Amino acid sequence: PPDLEDKLLTEPLRHPDFFNVKELFSLKDLFDARVHLGHKKGCRHQFMEPYIFGCRLDQDIIDLDQTMQHLQLALNFTAHVAYRKGIILFVSRNRQFCHLVESTARECGEYAHTRYWQGGLLTNAHIQFGPGIRLPDLLIFLSSLNNVFEPHVAIRDAAKMNIPTVGVVDTNCNPCLITYPIPGNDDSPTSMELYCKLFKMTIIRAKNKRKQIEVFQDLQSQEKHDTSRPVLAEGQA
Amino acid sequence: MTVTSHLPKYMLFSNCRRISESRFQSPGSQQRFQTASEGFAQAARKCYREVPSEKSESFAAMLRHSPLIQMGPAKDKIAIGQIFHVVEDDLYIDFGGKFHCVCKRPEVDGNKYQRGSRVRLRLLDLELTSRFLGATTDTTLLEADAVLLGLVESKQTKQKG
Repeated sequence: PPDLEDKLLTEPLRHPDFFNVKELFSLKDLFDARVHLGHKKGCRHQFMEPYIFGCRLDQDIIDLDQTMQHLQLALNFTAHVAYRKGIILFVSRNRQFCHLVESTARECGEYAHTRYWQGGLLTNAHIQFGPGIRLPDLLIFLSSLNNVFEPHVAIRDAAKMNIPTVGVVDTNCNPCLITYPIPGNDDSPTSMELYCKLFKMTIIRAKNKRKQIEVFQDLQSQEKHDTSRPVLAEGQA
Repeated sequence: MTVTSHLPKYMLFSNCRRISESRFQSPGSQQRFQTASEGFAQAARKCYREVPSEKSESFAAMLRHSPLIQMGPAKDKIAIGQIFHVVEDDLYIDFGGKFHCVCKRPEVDGNKYQRGSRVRLRLLDLELTSRFLGATTDTTLLEADAVLLGLVESKQTKQKG
């Protein structure tokens, strides 16, 4: 029934934090995972300056209060995309963590691309893969630079194809074209494990919520069906 | 009021004096007495609620008390790290900074340096960066620099040896 489906899709949009992603992380968790550590002052990108708390002995420190807000927005967005059965693609060209990213994607039932990005993967998809191909609905960058410290090509391509992006931006990255940037460390193993864990938990939570609401609505419509049928009196059966 | 039981004696005494003084004055001062005790109660509440709890520490406070900031410049500081990866003679050691450091396996006790062993390091730099001629930004090696001093001698090894 179209009415129930409509309610299924519009109800989560009424709440600012429908999936309660705030409780998944705290300031202390981010701090212990070394998310606030940035690169040296000389590596700083001009557009990252608003997200930087300060510079200590030449090392930039990222402002975790801003990171908390950005992380909450990004996780909320990924939860909504996963709830609406969107395809999520994890992208990271950092070879130290490519296995971690791939296993995270496998565990939450989504996709990952941690190898060389061919030029026309998104922009030339219909010719490279065939007609009727479905492109990802969200790209998550766990490291927005490629192996030569340039912005990953997929950021620009996703912007061209109107695909929203979520990305962890370190102090040497360009946050411009990313829809939901998360200023934070992308080089320490502890911080990468934290991000992977958070994304995996939000996606699984959103998918479970969707299943739960669908089952609930099915039960409700079944009950309506049962009550509408005439009830036989005991004597007549 | 349970708050008064924790107060030191001189504060209780001054409060009583204020109450007794106000009673002898005109009935209009009843309001003043009430506001005085309310103000005192508020002040007492503020004073006794400031118990340092882990949850409400701000980022700036956490940063200030963190070992990285307290350490100061990294040059020639002694730190303890843990080996998390071994490639033949190269040991990848994580000491709590943004990057790990890579050290050569020493000749003394070479076999004892395995994954998970704790080692003592003398830090030289937290991140190896340098600006080359004609570049707009620094080039970073994504590694820290440290000198390996030796294994961490725990009490057990001392007793055995």
